Amino acid sequence: MRRYWRMFKEFFRTCLVEELEYRSEFVGNLLTSLFGIIVSILMVQIFFYQTDQLGGWAYADVLILLGIYNTLQGLIDFALRPNMPRLLLHIRMGTLDYVLTKPVDSMFFVSLRHLNFWRLIDVLLGLGLTVYGLVEKQFFPSFLDVVFFFLTILSALMIIYSLWMLLMTTAFWVIRMDDLSFLFNSFFETTRFPITMYKGWMRMALTYLLPAAFLTFTPASSLIGRWDVQTTIASGLVAIIFFWLARRFWKFALANYTSASS
Amino acid sequence: MLAKYQAILRMKFVEMFSYQLSTIVWMFGTMVQPLITMMVWMNIYPDQGDAFILYFISLIMVERLTSAWDVWEMDRQIREGTFSYQIVRPFHPVHWAIAENIVYKGLFLVILVPCWMVLSIFLPTLQLQLSPGQWGLFLAALFLGAIIRFSVSFLFGILGFWMTKVTALYAMFEAVSLFISGRIAPFSLLPPVVKQISIFLPYRYMIGFPLEILTGAYDTHTLIVGFTGAVIWAFILIGAICWLWKAGLKKNQAVGG
Repeated sequence: MRRYWRMFKEFFRTCLVEELEYRSEFVGNLLTSLFGIIVSILMVQIFFYQTDQLGGWAYADVLILLGIYNTLQGLIDFALRPNMPRLLLHIRMGTLDYVLTKPVDSMFFVSLRHLNFWRLIDVLLGLGLTVYGLVEKQFFPSFLDVVFFFLTILSALMIIYSLWMLLMTTAFWVIRMDDLSFLFNSFFETTRFPITMYKGWMRMALTYLLPAAFLTFTPASSLIGRWDVQTTIASGLVAIIFFWLARRFWKFALANYTSASS
Repeated sequence: MLAKYQAILRMKFVEMFSYQLSTIVWMFGTMVQPLITMMVWMNIYPDQGDAFILYFISLIMVERLTSAWDVWEMDRQIREGTFSYQIVRPFHPVHWAIAENIVYKGLFLVILVPCWMVLSIFLPTLQLQLSPGQWGLFLAALFLGAIIRFSVSFLFGILGFWMTKVTALYAMFEAVSLFISGRIAPFSLLPPVVKQISIFLPYRYMIGFPLEILTGAYDTHTLIVGFTGAVIWAFILIGAICWLWKAGLKKNQAVGG
């Protein structure tokens, strides 16, 4: 574990050095991120122009959730998204062989080697929005709230990573990658609002089939003190199950992989 | 001209089939956002569920039939230098783009109309009772909407001769369109200020206006304002394309060998 942490730090360093050559892009990226978060806040405001609650959540609560959504989105774009097209290239050019022969876990290497630092702006803006939501709500989370928040957000991160890996592994059979990340975006979009907003079978599907409920909803509820032990345990279990699935699928894909080069 | 069009239409038709999977993914993926928005509204006004179902299912149809993707293609081609091949062809590149649009939108129609029919058996609210005249108005508005969206996208594509980040700019344009074109909310639910602004911008005529006709939420005044606005914007955009295209070609220095 320590070794992988050290390796991740090294990835971080090399990518940062690389990125710093393009410092002039900072302003453009900052503007895009700011614009993005303003648009999502305006969207919520359009809804709250007509109502004062959404699935039982007040305006400030929805802002907190939106902040978490933005943070997770930023983390995906920071660490996971830049790696997807590269895996595709590796497979097509046959350079995946070099990855496989390295004394590192191939799944770890393939999924986290390249980082896009500019998207950390989204993470910061998201965290800022969450804090703003808390201030607006005039709520100060207790120590227990924060503990449960960290537990659930950890599960959320693990679920996201696993779902992303499940999708990314299909690169061994499917060719067009932008389609796959688009598919993930469409799914992730469902977590933008409280899951209590969905009714009937939709809610069932988004909780049990595709664990959307555990991505933004449980961490946000925990942070505003609406946690319960069962849900937290459930989210942890779901995370472990999906991680196991992703892991198995990756191994399965590798076992069927026949290099592209000579 | 007609013979040429026949030829490129056939070509684009064959091309389409090599990207089956991605076409399907994109078609169904773009439905998610309107469906989520529909859920939100049904949550806010539980007693008006049927009206929102009709509105947002129609929205999916209209959005698909007016969608435009040319800016992404042109941006990539200009950046990689393959756009030069298009420029040297004796037939203006815009015709290739138009042909591609016709083919894909035909496919959307062929897939989505039967879906609508099946859905309307289960959801009676989707059974449309429009007179032939209303259908005519709707199709005219839809056609204008498609022209406007296509022109905007192509216009941004041409800007690629000068700039490297046109897709980011276009994404911003699309984000604004979320609010004003009627995607986030039916026109009647928007704050008055937004309604006022939307008359002067092209957004509403791209999606919102055809939708108002289809869902029956219009009067004579809306029709006059809508068609006038749509025609004016279509002319402005087509004019801008003609002018920018010439300037762009002078500026173009073709990347790659």
